[in-house]
Amino acid sequence: MAISTATKAATDALAANPAPVSVGAQEVHRWMQSFTWDFDKNRTKYSTKYKMANDTKEQFKLIAKEYARMESVKDERQFGSLQDVLTRVDAANRVHPKWNESMKVISNFLEVGEYNAIAATGMLWDSATAPEQKNGYLGQVLDEIRHTNQCAYINYYFAKQGQDAAGHNDARRTRAIGPLWKGMKRVFSDGFISGDAVECSINLQLVGEACFTNPLIVAVTEWASANGDEMTPTVFLSIETDELRHMANGYQTVVSIANDEAASKYLNTDLNNAFWTQQKYFTPVLGMMFEYGSHFKVEPWVKTWNRWVYEDWGGIWIGRLGKYGVESPRSLRDAKKDAYWAHHDLFLIAYALWPTGFFRLSLPTQEEADWYEANYPGWYDMYGKVYDEWRARGCEDPSSGFLPIQWFIENNHPIYIDRVSQVPFCPSYCKGESTLRVLEYNGKKHSFSDQWGERMWLSEPERYECQNIFEQYEGRELSEVIAEGFGLRSDGKTLISQPHTKKDGKLWTLDDIKRINCVFSDPLKAL
Amino acid sequence: MTIEVNGGRRGLTDPEIAAVIMAAVPDKPLETQRKMNYFMKPRGKRINEYEVLCCYSQPTPDWIPGGLDWGDWTQKFHGGRPSWSNESTEMRSSDWLAHRDPAFRWHALYVKDKAEEWRYTDRFLKAYSADGHVRSIDPVWRDEVLGDYLGAFGFYEYGLFNSHSSVVRDCLGDTLRMSSAMIGLDKVDNAQMIQAERTFLSKLVPGFPESTDIPKQEWTKGAIFKGARELVQDIWQATYDWNEILFSGHMICDPIFGQFVRREFFMRLSSYYGDNLTPFFINQMQLYFSQTKGITTDMFHTCLGADVEFGDYNNRLMRAWANKWLPRTVNALKDFMAIYATIPEIKGVSDKAAIEAALVRVFADWKRDFADPINYKVDTAALVKTVLSGLK
Ligand SMILES: [Fe+2]
Ligand SMILES: [Fe+2]
Repeated sequence: MAISTATKAATDALAANPAPVSVGAQEVHRWMQSFTWDFDKNRTKYSTKYKMANDTKEQFKLIAKEYARMESVKDERQFGSLQDVLTRVDAANRVHPKWNESMKVISNFLEVGEYNAIAATGMLWDSATAPEQKNGYLGQVLDEIRHTNQCAYINYYFAKQGQDAAGHNDARRTRAIGPLWKGMKRVFSDGFISGDAVECSINLQLVGEACFTNPLIVAVTEWASANGDEMTPTVFLSIETDELRHMANGYQTVVSIANDEAASKYLNTDLNNAFWTQQKYFTPVLGMMFEYGSHFKVEPWVKTWNRWVYEDWGGIWIGRLGKYGVESPRSLRDAKKDAYWAHHDLFLIAYALWPTGFFRLSLPTQEEADWYEANYPGWYDMYGKVYDEWRARGCEDPSSGFLPIQWFIENNHPIYIDRVSQVPFCPSYCKGESTLRVLEYNGKKHSFSDQWGERMWLSEPERYECQNIFEQYEGRELSEVIAEGFGLRSDGKTLISQPHTKKDGKLWTLDDIKRINCVFSDPLKAL
Repeated sequence: MTIEVNGGRRGLTDPEIAAVIMAAVPDKPLETQRKMNYFMKPRGKRINEYEVLCCYSQPTPDWIPGGLDWGDWTQKFHGGRPSWSNESTEMRSSDWLAHRDPAFRWHALYVKDKAEEWRYTDRFLKAYSADGHVRSIDPVWRDEVLGDYLGAFGFYEYGLFNSHSSVVRDCLGDTLRMSSAMIGLDKVDNAQMIQAERTFLSKLVPGFPESTDIPKQEWTKGAIFKGARELVQDIWQATYDWNEILFSGHMICDPIFGQFVRREFFMRLSSYYGDNLTPFFINQMQLYFSQTKGITTDMFHTCLGADVEFGDYNNRLMRAWANKWLPRTVNALKDFMAIYATIPEIKGVSDKAAIEAALVRVFADWKRDFADPINYKVDTAALVKTVLSGLK
């Protein structure tokens, strides 16, 4: 059309219809796929054995400004609730103390996952070639920043408003002392960002998000609310609204490589490894946080696990990907066995190492013991009687001179750490599936607790070289390690961690620990 | 009562549960230090909310300066390359966590601003269209410049946007990572705003093409954006050092080429051609430019250039990088000069003297804000002359 005709047409159009016109997000988004162009060096900086298709679409079709609008609406609602009514009713002081302690760990550890997901999805934004697929990952980059800030907000809120700020106020500094931290880094940090880009996507989106954020983010809100905590549901459910988009990204990742030959060779192995990696930590840790970190129970963890991990994820979600050749992981059956006892095994160890935490732990009460026995027959004979013995020896009392870790030593039950998952296990005293395997490589001994991790290590030992806490602390006295890791409250002498949450119970100090003279040793050296 | 509660009973409101909880809650808080991250050194007098919510969220070991964790990575890349490492950049820092967005924007504040901009954009476009402003745009300006060249400039913004992906993956600090993602999102927002303007015009001006085909042709094959395209491609995909990506994009390329094209070409000229629409969008881009400048200036000048231990070395490295990227940026701008031959000249506005004055402004700004702080010696008059040699 000639230029002058176009101007005339614009004038005529206006005369005929002067209705206001704007531009919608979808009208812009439909051009996104054409925003890129071909050039020599246009390739990802992160290698992957898969090839992601150039024409991959995304489901959510957001542009930057529309993304911001949607998120800010959710923010207003969420922060409005927290800052207004929940503060006025003093909600943080109406949470059961045991749950107040659990949120120190849950929110901070989830924050690590969210934080690393920023970098992980940055990598995927780089690896994808289709602009729409890049855009999907970009949206997730921003979401994960949001979630990092939101998780932080929980600790920030509990510190400012709640009953025990210690740990909430410095989790980012004190979390590195204890036995749960390195394993958390494997699943939530390095597992998302270090490896083949698609393998990382499988870890983050296909397993971490699609499989475990349901139990983690949704189930946690039910446990929280039962225990008086309305802050966590307010924030976590708002996080969950973004997660749908992330699971869709994971789905699209698989779709984008489905026609690639490499997928038929490697995809199921990568999925199996990712599933085992994630479940190895989350199955016991989530179960432990829920059941042992609460007073009021929602349902036995094994039921939640079967419903969400085994049936919904292993069955339905993976089933939907069946047409792309994806199969249920082979390790799912072993994981199912672990879902029954692994969290009980882990709590025994976590409680025994309580001084290295940044939270207070509690022994199961009589009514809890009854609940465990009813839901996990055989619980008392294995665990309950040990807790009774520890309690009788005064493990909660600072003047007793007794730390439960001594019980493991006295009874010759060494605690090892699995090199690949970094999860501690006690092969001679457990009901879960862990068995001890020791291998030597480059003059160094490595312990493993299961065949799946051992296989990963055997094929690529250079990926799993991280020293564990026993190697790191070997020969050092416990109170020294705690002081160095800033495990003290603001009075400079009382521990942040405590072996009870009793209102009138005495609090342990660094001197109480020092008197016991507990020195770390590396169990691998004794082999 | 039983400890298993189902049916969604809530401890805050269920009297029976609440009674048990309240009996267990300590009479007074156990800890008096109520400030999260109390141990950190704030940028200002007090630790602000942005610092609470962002700082030290990154779990880096202490051998990456600033980190609070210890030990090795628990899983590495195939072959053993670490998750994050000091070797990912030539820059040195005594604290990779020191950077702050000067506006202290954490996610909620960032999206709140952008959401407001979007709502206002929508209202503005409705008023603009109903008012019939579009009739006043010079047809050549509208169809050639906005149709083709503004569209082509969208690819520049899109390419620079993509240069942030590996920065978001590789950089060594939490505030750095968040800032990089945000300034990256602003760049794709710019590209999308350009497309939004073209789609909007196509709704008002029958026959105005909203397709990206011609702009892409211009961007990939045309002479006007040749230098810019090659520059952007190399920042995006040929550069692996995440600091160099940010430095070349935000300390050299965009404050010179991007500033000239946006501010001195599209924004300044548009009103002379009866176009009051483009300035609306470019003004938003300029807001993002100034916010980004605050961020990258903090990264490179306030933190790296002034680092107690490595400041001298870092400034020397930045000067070396400037030597590498400045000539290419000047060349991109020289190619861009060919655009003036495509528009009707307006005396004192788009003639040679006016172009020269515009170039002088851009280079003077760049010298003051970007070259002088790293003690980079530059003859801006010579650069202006080189650029002007591209005028047809
Ligand atoms: Fe998330
Ligand atoms: Fe996510």
